[in-house]
Amino acid sequence: MPDVALNIKVKDGAIVEEGLSYVISSWDETALEAALQITEDVGGEVTLLTIGPDKAAESLRKGLAMGAHKAIHVKYDEAKESDSFAFAKILQKALEGRNYDLILTGKQAQDTDAGLTAPMLAEFISLPQVTNIIRFSDVSEESITLYRKGDHGTEVIDMNLPGIVTVNDSLNEPRLASMRGIMMAKKKPLEEIELDSLDIPAEMRGKQGSMTNVLQFEKPETRKEGQTFEGDEADTVKQAMDLLVSESKFLA
Amino acid sequence: MTKILIVAEIKNGEIKKNTLELFSFAKSQGLESEAVLLGSDVSGQADVLAGQGASTVYIGDDASLEIYNTEQYTSLVIDALQQSQATQVWLTSSEMGRDLTPRVAARQGVGALSDVTQLEINVDEITAFRPCMATKAVQKCEFSKDGLRVISIRSGIFSAEETAPAPANTVTLSIPEGHSQLKVREVQVEESDEVELNEASIIVSAGRGVGGVEGCEFVRPLANELGAAFGASRAVCDAGWLPHKHQVGQTGTMVNPDFYFALGISGAIQHLAGMSGSKVIVAVNKDPDAPIFKVADYGIVGDLFKAVPVLREEVGKLKG
Ligand SMILES: Cc1cc2nc3c(=O)[nH]c(=O)nc-3n(C[C@H](O)[C@H](O)[C@H](O)COP(=O)(O)OP(=O)(O)OC[C@H]3O[C@@H](n4cnc5c(N)ncnc54)[C@H](O)[C@@H]3O)c2cc1C
Repeated sequence: MPDVALNIKVKDGAIVEEGLSYVISSWDETALEAALQITEDVGGEVTLLTIGPDKAAESLRKGLAMGAHKAIHVKYDEAKESDSFAFAKILQKALEGRNYDLILTGKQAQDTDAGLTAPMLAEFISLPQVTNIIRFSDVSEESITLYRKGDHGTEVIDMNLPGIVTVNDSLNEPRLASMRGIMMAKKKPLEEIELDSLDIPAEMRGKQGSMTNVLQFEKPETRKEGQTFEGDEADTVKQAMDLLVSESKFLA
Repeated sequence: MTKILIVAEIKNGEIKKNTLELFSFAKSQGLESEAVLLGSDVSGQADVLAGQGASTVYIGDDASLEIYNTEQYTSLVIDALQQSQATQVWLTSSEMGRDLTPRVAARQGVGALSDVTQLEINVDEITAFRPCMATKAVQKCEFSKDGLRVISIRSGIFSAEETAPAPANTVTLSIPEGHSQLKVREVQVEESDEVELNEASIIVSAGRGVGGVEGCEFVRPLANELGAAFGASRAVCDAGWLPHKHQVGQTGTMVNPDFYFALGISGAIQHLAGMSGSKVIVAVNKDPDAPIFKVADYGIVGDLFKAVPVLREEVGKLKG
């Protein structure tokens, strides 16, 4: 997905493609780091899975360089046309016949900020879900203890595997790929799958397979230029507070 | 006919303000609303929802619902939906709402729109606006197929109207099993008599610039004296200076109070995405180039340790 830390321009109802740089969504990097820590701790293998156009392969190589063991690339050029529901359906197809103990992903994608795909997938493949975790412990082959940031505190949940977890960025600080990791990534298996081979009919693809539709993108409301105050805090704070009261009716 | 089923939220036995906001909005649009009320020992709150306009309140009241859990809550919302024949389900985009919204939608075989900040409703034709890309763009969306509309709405977007309780027309839901593969052990509650971030009209937030736990305690009295919620940046929560529930931003709470004070916060995109909808922003930062000044209405370039005592003094005078 596009790097949202960079400038994002909106023109004629669309995001301007030019100047965008594509990266792994930050929350997904946190999920990968967690997966790597789990396999380092209890053994096992980390597989990356993504659905997207050719350029998505770069992100998979980066994930392999961080330490993932293999990767699956479901090639899909019109991925941008699909909504979370359609993605979850394609993921369900891509996972058919595969073995896994734990599916980890970011709490939301940094481009859509929707946070819908993972729980929808969990429902479609009848797995338990725990979203927004900030910690985990007691990983075994059968179960994992998850600490979810809930509305009223940290919810402590034991989940039997297999299951689906989405991560909060507070969980960890993702590692950087080492030189050696980058070299080794070139030799790791990257499986490419065409949508057709997954038996995904036209009515499941793109807009047709989606339940919601983005009509257009708009610029967010910009805030009007504010005032700055420099100097001795005893003066500047008073000036600012006076205006806060007179202009903005603070504590009125 | 359009009918909205609103999933109510409870804290300390009372209906939360974000739920009242949804009812007030439904009423302002002339829409019929019903409520689903889930939790432990919550039935007494049905009258509050009826007072807000809920024509029927579907109640799931059981000790097993004390802490939110995906499976039971999903089953109960679906049960209420089937009895209610509602055409739309509205939730808030709280941590519960974020977890529940997609699961309810998927179980009904439909899509969802999450964290919506503006909503135009024409029968069941919906145009929704939702920020994306760390609030650097806004999506204008619609549902493209017929069927149930599942929508989660950000707190603080609509205003809540206080209403007197009224006798409720209630339906008792039978309590389903939880997920056999999941066991919610406990909720570790952090200090809880404080003003909640998404219910506050004033928020005072501390950033890494406060330097540590002592710095947080240096700022906290200002929040208390203002009756404000005490917020923080991720840097502060990750360092363990304050519990995570204080975090404002994309992975914390998305807030839009009347007044937001950012003290020693640089203004990273993920923080701005969570608070740039505040009506008035005051920032104190010693770096004149800090990005927070790009969104601040009143930007004080200076040391927060010198500014906070003056702020407290001024607030003291205003409060008389
Ligand atoms: C996926 C993702 C999600 C994230 N989600 C969030 C989120 O929800 N919320 C969030 O806050 N962050 C979030 N972050 C982190 C974010 O990118 C920043 O790292 C974080 O907000 C920085 O916190 P800060 O402003 O307190 O610290 P810093 O960026 O270190 O800024 C400290 C500021 O304090 C100022 N300062 C220092 N001393 C003083 C003093 N004595 N007086 C006045 N000013 C002083 C400095 O000039 C500086 O500007 C997220 C990051 C990622 C990658």
